[in-house]
Amino acid sequence: MGKDNKVTNNSKKHTAKGPNQKLRQRTAILIMLILIAGFGAAVLRLSFLTLVQGSELQERAVDQQLADTTVSAKRGSIYDKNGKILAESASVWQVVLAPINFKTDEQRQACAKGLAEILDLEYEDVLEKTQQQNYYSVVKRKIEADKRDEILKFIDKMADDYKCTGVISLLDDYKRYYPQNDLASCVIGFTGSDDQGLEGVEYKYDDYLAGTSGRIITARNARGTDMPFQYEQNVDAEDGNNIYLTIDATVQSICEKYMKQGIIENNVLNRGVCIAMDVNTGAIIAMVTVDGYNLNDPYTLSQKDIDEIRTLPKDKQAEAESAALSAMWRNKAISDTYMPGSVFKICTSSMALEENLVDDNTTFFCSGSVTLPGVTNPINCHDHAGHGTQTFVQAICNSCNPAFIQIGKMLGADKFRQYYQGFGFSEKTGIDLPGEAEDNFWPGEMKEVDLAVASFGQNFSITPIQMITACAAVVNGGNVLQPYVVSKITDSDGNVIKNVEKKVKRQVISKETSDKMNEILAYNTATAGATAGYIPGYKIGGKTGTSEKIGVVKPESIFPEDYIASFCGYAPADNPQIAMLVFFDTPSGDVYYGSQVAAPAFINIMSEVLPYLEVKTEYTESELEYVDASAGDYIGLSSADAEKAAKNDGFTVTVKGKGDKVISQIPTVSSKVQNGGNIVLYTDDTSASETVTVPNLIGYTPSEVNNVASAYGLNVSFSGATTAQGISTAQDISEGTSVSPGTVITVSFNSSSSTLND
Amino acid sequence: MAPYKKMMLKADINRIYDDEYIDSQKAKKEKFFVRPSRQRKMKKPGWFSVGMGIDLPFCIIILVLLTIGTIMMFSASYAFSYYTTGDSYHYLFRQLLFIGLGLIAMIFMSFFNYNKFHKIAPLVLGVSYICLVLVLMLPAGDGGVKRWIPLGIFNLQPSEIAKFSIILFFAHWSSKYYNKMQFARYSVLPGLVVFGTTALLLYFEPHYSGIVIIGILTVLMLYIGGMKAKYLLIGFVGLAGIVLLLAVTGGLSYAMSRMDGWGQALQSVRGDDLWDATWQTRNSLYAIGSGGLWGLGLGQSRQKYLYLPEPQNDFIFAIVVEELGLIGAMLILIIFALLVWRGITLSLRAKDKFGKMLGIGLTSQIGIQVVLNILVITDWLPNTGISLPFFSYGGSSLIMLLAQMGIVLSISRTANIERQ
Repeated sequence: MGKDNKVTNNSKKHTAKGPNQKLRQRTAILIMLILIAGFGAAVLRLSFLTLVQGSELQERAVDQQLADTTVSAKRGSIYDKNGKILAESASVWQVVLAPINFKTDEQRQACAKGLAEILDLEYEDVLEKTQQQNYYSVVKRKIEADKRDEILKFIDKMADDYKCTGVISLLDDYKRYYPQNDLASCVIGFTGSDDQGLEGVEYKYDDYLAGTSGRIITARNARGTDMPFQYEQNVDAEDGNNIYLTIDATVQSICEKYMKQGIIENNVLNRGVCIAMDVNTGAIIAMVTVDGYNLNDPYTLSQKDIDEIRTLPKDKQAEAESAALSAMWRNKAISDTYMPGSVFKICTSSMALEENLVDDNTTFFCSGSVTLPGVTNPINCHDHAGHGTQTFVQAICNSCNPAFIQIGKMLGADKFRQYYQGFGFSEKTGIDLPGEAEDNFWPGEMKEVDLAVASFGQNFSITPIQMITACAAVVNGGNVLQPYVVSKITDSDGNVIKNVEKKVKRQVISKETSDKMNEILAYNTATAGATAGYIPGYKIGGKTGTSEKIGVVKPESIFPEDYIASFCGYAPADNPQIAMLVFFDTPSGDVYYGSQVAAPAFINIMSEVLPYLEVKTEYTESELEYVDASAGDYIGLSSADAEKAAKNDGFTVTVKGKGDKVISQIPTVSSKVQNGGNIVLYTDDTSASETVTVPNLIGYTPSEVNNVASAYGLNVSFSGATTAQGISTAQDISEGTSVSPGTVITVSFNSSSSTLND
Repeated sequence: MAPYKKMMLKADINRIYDDEYIDSQKAKKEKFFVRPSRQRKMKKPGWFSVGMGIDLPFCIIILVLLTIGTIMMFSASYAFSYYTTGDSYHYLFRQLLFIGLGLIAMIFMSFFNYNKFHKIAPLVLGVSYICLVLVLMLPAGDGGVKRWIPLGIFNLQPSEIAKFSIILFFAHWSSKYYNKMQFARYSVLPGLVVFGTTALLLYFEPHYSGIVIIGILTVLMLYIGGMKAKYLLIGFVGLAGIVLLLAVTGGLSYAMSRMDGWGQALQSVRGDDLWDATWQTRNSLYAIGSGGLWGLGLGQSRQKYLYLPEPQNDFIFAIVVEELGLIGAMLILIIFALLVWRGITLSLRAKDKFGKMLGIGLTSQIGIQVVLNILVITDWLPNTGISLPFFSYGGSSLIMLLAQMGIVLSISRTANIERQ
């Protein structure tokens, strides 16, 4: 009880306040605890969440509340200069699952089975997708219309048979098609699985082509169905812009055809390049890297590469495959550098003329080799006997290295470098394609030997596009242009949003120098003939080049050194329009000189391209002899009238049969016949059965071919560079074949026995 | 007080037995009893207090909260209601029914002479125990817990009764033994016994948040009832020790599973172990964050579209913040604070210790639940199921709540009568 008393005493001490006071005190503490500490903490926490973390939390909330469906934008098309479609996107669909809406495993299995069958997928893979807990699982992309119809039917079936709805949906998608397959593959490029440009124009102009994806944003409840109140926001997809290239698909395909032929004929190991440029604007008319690849199937290597990779050990195959793919996609015309060799003499000559260091009377002496101080081995001219004394023009036509070493010396290293930069070799051309490489020139002082070899295009490397841009500058009046492949961009409604104008970077040489160079280069081709790109009826200027691939070990070729055979030419020489650079990297056939490998390809291409471009022909008297004419239409005329008409057209006439009227003719209407060729007119059926046997027409000069053919009553059409000295190399209808009289036999004149002025 | 002046005064005969009352009576005799002689003549008080002597501000605050709460409950529930029952008004209609019943109970209790509870407090505690035992014998409900006794139109939640009976019992106890509360055997011992047995029964339901609230209420009642502060301190240390022990032995498996992910709601990523466990809390935080300062507007919540599970229950305030913003939430909290303030101050005006303690206990309980509820929905406390008074959907809790508010009103009425 003592304890009790003590406490009682204690409490009595407080009696001044009373027990009521104690309760009040403690209640006050309680109120403070609840209202200040408790409510205070609650308010603080709420303020933090709403004001500080609010935006982040709201973002996350909105993320889950809004079902954001992306509507693909249609990627713009790519057209050639004339509006031919090179790349376009077509509607396809993607199959999407909302697996969270499945209710039973039975539904899942049925759905997986059906989709796997229709879409040709593995059942297990689809089943796995149906078991996910989400609203968006892509089953297959880019399915075409027929599959789409099947899927739509299947959706109905799932609804009917399994009461399963809201699970499968089809979303619009687009697929890229390249109607021309491998045409201009290195220029056009291709797109990836998400429609993003990966190479070429597709990559470079991705921003223009891609368009802007649209979105359909709908508020969804946690079950993925729409909330009962309307919350939908549509942002329409904005289709991509269309791109018009400067490339002419016809020219491009002509170039590709003959480049491929050149690759095969000369067993070229490391691909070839052909660039055709409008010399006055810098527009690229054709840009070929052979072999290209099929843009619709860019991940398939050539059979040769596949076989090569198969021989490698397993662990290295993947690496080799990806290396082979990037090599295949590589646009050699702009991404690889090479030593321009003698083609560069165009530039060296221009420099000397511009600096007035040479004129028609300047002479150079060539003993066959030049020994430079400090260098053990003399530099040889390709003509080991030496060219002797020659004028400036002769030095160019002879492509004489010792003469150019002297010209280089006259220029000096500083001037040489200055012009080198002026021609744009030291900078990227700025062409609107990805992956342009830079040149590789002496970074510091050029030694005497450096200048000597540089003057004829050795020991530094540039890109093909730089070479042709410089060539264009030499012949167009001295303007260094910025090359481009896209001429205009239009929106999806066809309104032009960008027109590409030509861009002159600078004038590097004067108009006079340019005119003089045109004269010299036209003279070069005219005198050197087929080896320098001569085509009857056209004034062609050009220069061949055979450069050594110093320091390049692979690929192996049969020659002691690897070479690049190139040719750079243009037409017409008196009013240059189109320039073309052709080069083959590492030819390993019988010949490797530019004049033997590249010039024929150039001639083949230009012989078709120039008529297509409607470049006017101007034949000299001697050329006219070998020029083809078109057979007229004589059918239906009386035999006398027909004979008269054909003679007026410049043909000789043979009438066969006893009828009054011409019922058929050989050669047929509009087919090519040489001037003065023989037209056979048939007036009855029986006479048409007569035949002649085709003789051998190979190994003759053009006039000899003419003589033989006319003796047999056959016509010939000359193909290739036909000069009086040319020797025929092929005939399209082989010896011994029976044909009707008057049939046209195409005879090819390729390289000739002229000297190789490289 | 003018309108009440003519009201009949009734002496509260109970006060005569209340020692403390007599003490205070003597101390302030002149101040409060203008005509004590007349009061003495009053006949023994009956079961009901009559007249309009209730505390009007307190009553208005209750009605304001009830109105706002019902509107928000409807807003929060209609999407969930639509998707789960097909009827957007399902919860609203039922809640309105409960409100009707609750208001009847409140009015009834406001006239009921709360002093009658003084005598029956142990009996109420007994009934509470019976209910707590009974619920354990019934089959388990949702989620394998046994928390409700189905009573037709609504489910009776024995823990609600337990909360009330504990407040009632300790108000009774500490006013009865007011001068012995310093002794541990009159304060700590009954506290431990009553809390311990109740907690044990709740543990079997299990209903941990009920245990927490009952623990807090027990301590609160004993503290204001006069328990020595040092026992409180010892109690806190002991509690911490017990929690630690249980945590170590793993006895709180269910609670731990509910606490799993406590504070991790925003760190969890889809598909991990905690994603589902923290779903409700995470979506609560999303809702609160989405509200910002001004809210998305009444009815504009998006999180209530099945993202926040059962938005009409414990997590209703998250939807309130989403729709009304921090500003709206603060206004509601201010009204709650006014309720607590007014309820406690009016209870202090009661002339007997029992009335004071009962009023303070019942009002504090609301404040404590509000605070705990907000700390739960904001992920500062584990998600344990503490409803928000006047807002959360629920029959038994709402009816109990309004009945309890009726008792506080009854206390205010009596205090007011005596003030005349």
